[in-house]
Amino acid sequence: MEQHLGRQSGVEKVAVNLLDGKVEVIPKEDGQIDPAQLMKATYDSGVTVAEMDVTARGKIMKDSSGNLSLQVGPNRAFVLVQNELSKSLEPIVDSQTAITVRGQLYKKSTGKKKADPSVPLKVLILDVQKKE
Amino acid sequence: MNAKAIAILVLLGATLGPMAQAQIKSVEMRVEGMT
Repeated sequence: MEQHLGRQSGVEKVAVNLLDGKVEVIPKEDGQIDPAQLMKATYDSGVTVAEMDVTARGKIMKDSSGNLSLQVGPNRAFVLVQNELSKSLEPIVDSQTAITVRGQLYKKSTGKKKADPSVPLKVLILDVQKKE
Repeated sequence: MNAKAIAILVLLGATLGPMAQAQIKSVEMRVEGMT
């Protein structure tokens, strides 16, 4: 799995902890990595993703449907799952303020074997680490 | 460099600077079935 993930586009380093089943993926300097692709590659290597978290820096935008999203690159944004932390980010919507957040992209439901790749990943913000 | 060119550079820096630094810093997964 480590080698398989390491071959994915934008991946700099993969650290696997066999004891607790945690896998950390560090992107290359440009940060252009695709979590959905990583999830697919993980399944392809024969293991099941129980949970996926991301730490990312970006700007908070609001789309035409009124959903907040975290823009982490010129062509990549994740819609935010609404919670108290996402509501607290309303004042910096569409501003130049960049934030660093830790969020949950996926958590396996009970009884569900695999994530549906057709459903876009959304971020449930767990922690706002930095506003600048 | 005239004042107009400097103003444009400052404006571009303010607009594009934060996006240039937008990035995923790490992805952590908890996996099952690993041997």
